[in-house]
Parts: sequence; structure tokens; C-alpha cells
Amino acid sequence: MMDIRNINVLVRKEVRESLKNRWFILYTAGFSILALLVMLFATSSGGLGGYSGFGRITASLINLVLFFIPLISIVTGAVSISGERENKTLAFLLSHPVSKSEVFIGKFTGLLISIWVSIVLGFGLAGVVAALRGGSEDASRYLMMALLSALLAASILSVGFLVSSLSRKVASAMGVAVFLWLAFIVLGDLGIMGTTIAMDLGVRQVFVLAVINPVEVFKMTAVMTLSPRFEVLGPVGIYALRTFGSAGTFWLLSGVMVLWTAVPLCIAMLSFTVWRREE
Amino acid sequence: MIKINDVSKCFGSLRALDGVSTSVERGEAVALLGPNGAGKSTLIKCLLGVLDFTGEIIVDGLGVRDNSKLTKALMGYVPQEPAFYDMTVLELVGFFGSLRNVKRERIMEAIELTGLTEHAGKHCSALSGGMKQRLSFAIAMLSDAPILLLDEPTSNLDAFVRTDFLRLIRDFKENGKTILFSSHRLDEVEFLADRVVVMNSGRIVLECSPHDLTKQIEHKTRIHLEIPSSSLPAADSVIRELGYEAVTLNCGDLIVETSVENKMGLLSALIRRNVPVTDFKVEEISMEELMLALVSERGNDGH
Repeated sequence: MMDIRNINVLVRKEVRESLKNRWFILYTAGFSILALLVMLFATSSGGLGGYSGFGRITASLINLVLFFIPLISIVTGAVSISGERENKTLAFLLSHPVSKSEVFIGKFTGLLISIWVSIVLGFGLAGVVAALRGGSEDASRYLMMALLSALLAASILSVGFLVSSLSRKVASAMGVAVFLWLAFIVLGDLGIMGTTIAMDLGVRQVFVLAVINPVEVFKMTAVMTLSPRFEVLGPVGIYALRTFGSAGTFWLLSGVMVLWTAVPLCIAMLSFTVWRREE
Repeated sequence: MIKINDVSKCFGSLRALDGVSTSVERGEAVALLGPNGAGKSTLIKCLLGVLDFTGEIIVDGLGVRDNSKLTKALMGYVPQEPAFYDMTVLELVGFFGSLRNVKRERIMEAIELTGLTEHAGKHCSALSGGMKQRLSFAIAMLSDAPILLLDEPTSNLDAFVRTDFLRLIRDFKENGKTILFSSHRLDEVEFLADRVVVMNSGRIVLECSPHDLTKQIEHKTRIHLEIPSSSLPAADSVIRELGYEAVTLNCGDLIVETSVENKMGLLSALIRRNVPVTDFKVEEISMEELMLALVSERGNDGH
């Protein structure tokens, strides 16, 4: 039986530790400053793909989010359990009246909240300055982008937790995490392009291939919030629209991101609590 | 209070615990003694439920395997090598206090009782080994748990701090706590324990009182003698006459093993026979060596 009070104590500890962590502070400051610069550049330039106000800022922020949020999420997740295992704090924690499930849920929730805090700060700062500069148009798209970023953080953090729960050493967890980040960010696009050309794939297969990468799913969903017609994604976008409809595609992609959060997280929790019972 | 029935634990092909059975009564202080790798720490970790095991461990009527959280709430634990989060002393004790649902006043009391008040604002990483051990103890005593498990609690402490720390543990014992601790030191065992459980290679080889243990272990000491080389043959002959054997070191000095009570007798005999002893040193034989001697005498199964 899980004790909510224990989970709450562990969540508060994780948030407090993250907010004191200098790397986390550096990341949050970097993300906030870059988001602000992107916003200033987007609002001062002549035009961006026909978008204006927050729509323009949202479009400009997609690439920043694609790079930053998966990186901090996967690294934070990868270090979470393996780090405590390596420095033996996990064994000491588990000698107290707390279950492994409570530790796992407490750590995940606490770290997710910390990453969300940095997303809120980055989006919030850029958003407030943009609003002060008089551009409140398309604010709902900006908000949707922030929510999708939060969902992306949850997906990648759970992948990081899976890596961490399976690793004994921080170094090996970090190695796998950085490889996965590269695979999601760089190899994702190149992989789809290469496989499509080499295997002469149809649009349906390309769509499926894109959907198995959470970062690609985020990219497609974010583009959809900007352009519900989805035509900017070319034949794959048109295929998705024709097959699932506009709302259907949006919910399908959002559902895939939720699955990308739930599935790795469940496997990680099983690995941590059932398959490896000792620390 | 604690019943351990036929507990075994393997790490791969290594059998760390091999059918261990013993019990600890309420209010009793039991020492686990034995050489490194005997299984003392493994047994304590099985009691805490952090290691899987075969057999049965019952704490205050509850099976550890099925009631891990409840049994852990009954125990305070001081690890051999404390590992703490990157927090201040106050934050760390507060964190574990929240997990054990204790009041703020109790957190401050635990810090005060372990003499950490003036270090409360310090980061755990900045504490000395002794202070870290005190901090472990502050955490272990937070919830006023009826059982204390101490895994070589004084291993990182200097002599002065150690005495202080042992008194603190004895106060707990006098307040009716059940204590199970592992140690390498006979003086600690004599000071704290009501009963001693000697382990070797994952098995219990002897259970007795500390008094009986000291009687069982022929309490030996080593005398390091500095004697001019011209007098070495005479010294050797006196030592042999008394029934001892001397080992000659490269530097020419002699090492003689004798019982603690007879060490003065040896020195007096040498002086009486005009053997010039220019200097001498008395070396205590380590608990590790004595334990090894005891377990090799008794074998692995205690017979």
C-alpha cells in the first residue's frame, strides 16, 4: 500500500534538490535567455511564415524546445536512480519505512515538476515580454506549445528513468542517455529520410516511422497547433489529415506522447521494484 | 523482539549467510562479531529488508519480507559507511524526520542529543567521519524506534569521540532499547553487549556472554623487545625457558607473543638474568586476529 505522505515528502525533496543544483539552474537560465532572445528576434523581424504575435514566437521556439527539453529531461532521468545507487544514498533511504514504489513515484514526480518549473520560467519570461511589447495575438497557440513541451519533458524523462533503473553506474546511464538523445534529435530526421529513400517507403510507413520517435511526434503536434491544416509537413501531413482528420491526428499524436510517457515509466518501475528487489 | 530462522543469502556463487538462526530479546544488546566477510552486515541488511533472503525473520511478531515498511519503522539503522544527500544537517534530519512522521521538536532534540546543534547549518559533505556517524545516529534515533541496528558504528571514529559515542549508545540501551550491533572491538563488546554472536563464513560459530568470550579467547599480547645483538642468544634462551617463542626481525629486535597477565613476568625474567632490554613496546593483538584464531579453532559450524 502506497503512502501519499511519503511520496509528498520525496517529491518536495527532489524539487528542493533540483532547484539547488547548479546545472539545473544553468540550464533554466540558458533556456530562459534563449527563449527571450528567440522571442525578441521573432517579434522584431519582418515576418515568419505568415505568423504574427505569439504564433510567430511559437514557431520560432519549436527548434529551441526540440534541442533543450529532451536533453535536460533524459540526463535528469538517467542520473536519478543510478546516481543514488552509485553513491549508496538509495540503500540508506530504503532502510527507512518507505517502499521502492514510493521512492520511484516521488522521484519521477519531483523531477518532472522541476523540469516543468524551468519550462514555465522559459516560456513565461518570453511570454510576458512579448505581451508587454503588445503582441497578444495567438496566445492560445503559445500556451498549447508550452503544454506540449511539458508532455515532451514527461515522455523523455520517463525514457531517462528507464535507462537509470536498468543501470548500476551513472557513467553507463549517461552514455546510453546521450546516445538516445542523439538518436531522437539527429538520427530521427536523418533516419526517416534515409530509410524512406533506401526502402522506398510509402507515406503510411513514413508516418508510422515518425510516430515511433517522441521528439518527431512533438514536432508534428507543435506544427499542427500552428497550422491545423498540416500542409507544411507535406505528403505525410496530408496522409494523416485524410486518414484521421484534423482533431483525430492531434489526439492520436498527443496519445502517442502519453504512451511514450506511460510505457517506459511502467517498465522502469517494474524493473526498479520487481525485477531488481535489492539495492 | 527479533527472531531469525534459518536465514541464507547468496550473492552469485558466494554464500554470505548460510542457515543463520538466532534471536534477540526485548531490551537486549547483542554484538555480532567476526572477521571481514563473516556475514554481519549482510544479516543486518536482511533484517532491514533491503536484501532478499531465504528463511524467516520476525521483528516484533511481523515477518520482515511481507511487512517491510512496518518492520523498518520499528528499527533505527546506523550504516558502516554513511552516505548522505547533498543537504545541510538540519535539512537531512528534517527529511528523514518527515519520512518517519516525527515532529519538528523531535528533530531538534535528535540533533541536540547527538551534539550536532552547532553543525546544523553545515553541509553533510563538510562533516568529519565522527560527525557523520553522529548524524547517522541522530537519524536512527529520530522516531524513538525500539530497535537499533548498528553496523560497525565506531569504525570511523577516533578514540575520544568513540568513547563518547559508546556512552550515547549505552544510554539508549539503559532506556530499554533492543540493540544489535556489529563490531571488531572486544572493548566495545564488553562495554555494550549482553550477548555475543560470533560469525564466520556466513554461519554462527559461537553464542555466549562477553565474559565467556574473553575467557574463550586466550587474550594475548605482543611484546616488541629492543636488545643489543650481543645479548640476543641469552635473551632467546630465557624466552624459551619461559615457554615462549621469539621471532627475530630484520633489524635484530625480537617479537614475543604472551598472555596479557604474563607480559611483566617476561620482562622481569630478562632483567633478572641480566639481559639488557634497551626498549620495549606492547602491541595489542587485533580483534580480527583473535577472531580468526577463535573461528579456526572452532571450525565453521561452531564445533
